[in-house]
Amino acid sequence: MKLRSKFFLGDGLIILISLVFIIFAFKTYWHFETGSVVQVNFQGKTYGNFSLFQDKKISLVGKEGESMIEIKNGQARFKSAPCKNQYCVQQGWIGFTGQILICIPNEISIEILGKTKAYDSLNY
Amino acid sequence: MTRSIIKIKTTLLDHQIAQLSAIAIGLSLIESILPSPMPGVKPGIANIITLYALYRFSFKTAMWVSILRVFATSLILGQFLSPTFMLSLTGSILSLLTLYFGIKLPSKIFSSLSLSILSSFAHIAGQLILVRLWLIPHASIYYLIPIYSAAALLFGFINGWITYRLLKQHNSI
Repeated sequence: MKLRSKFFLGDGLIILISLVFIIFAFKTYWHFETGSVVQVNFQGKTYGNFSLFQDKKISLVGKEGESMIEIKNGQARFKSAPCKNQYCVQQGWIGFTGQILICIPNEISIEILGKTKAYDSLNY
Repeated sequence: MTRSIIKIKTTLLDHQIAQLSAIAIGLSLIESILPSPMPGVKPGIANIITLYALYRFSFKTAMWVSILRVFATSLILGQFLSPTFMLSLTGSILSLLTLYFGIKLPSKIFSSLSLSILSSFAHIAGQLILVRLWLIPHASIYYLIPIYSAAALLFGFINGWITYRLLKQHNSI
């Protein structure tokens, strides 16, 4: 049996469409946007929005003591925390939109904001 | 007391279905012991049999083979009515639906390669819809769409190619 040259025309078309779809899917869903603003929430209220394009240290004194937030090179982190677990400090730097760090004992959370709101698991 | 003999009359179709299902179940079981990089990314080699049945015999045969395979494999592996089984069943039903319409495409330009790719996309689409609606009702699973569709294209292509070679060997196309 000889292969007819026309035989795989439709197959080629299907493969092409699939490839375009896959590339499109990667671009749409694996698009991580670097944020521009960090929102600091303290004791249930928004403490303030700070630009990520600056070097800044924010000191917040809560029930547990003093938490230090550091902004540098378009990223933010908890530099120090008064609690004993230090979970928020150990998570390190965040810089993409939708990323969030929470310090529950001291009632502080910091979230990176950008042009669009990314999916996160906290709203769920 | 006379011994009663129960004899079920079997048709040719029954035999075809039984034989093909046996092969499909075997392939599914082999596949189930293969390691997978992430849940859901599987070659789906049993679909070769479904496609083969579709081309060689009829849609009805393919449908029986596919559904029987899902039920039998889950019973053997102890996954009957578990989420794994439900995912498998949803995927297979959507896949079969695609094949039902896919086989109506002009066979001069669309070979088993096309149908295999389309059905594996349908399979993963069905599973993702079920996961989204039932197991993980959260938008974050959309992150998985690119990986799963890439796997669907790759394995759909390979399965389709194997089916094509098989059919050619048996002079069915």
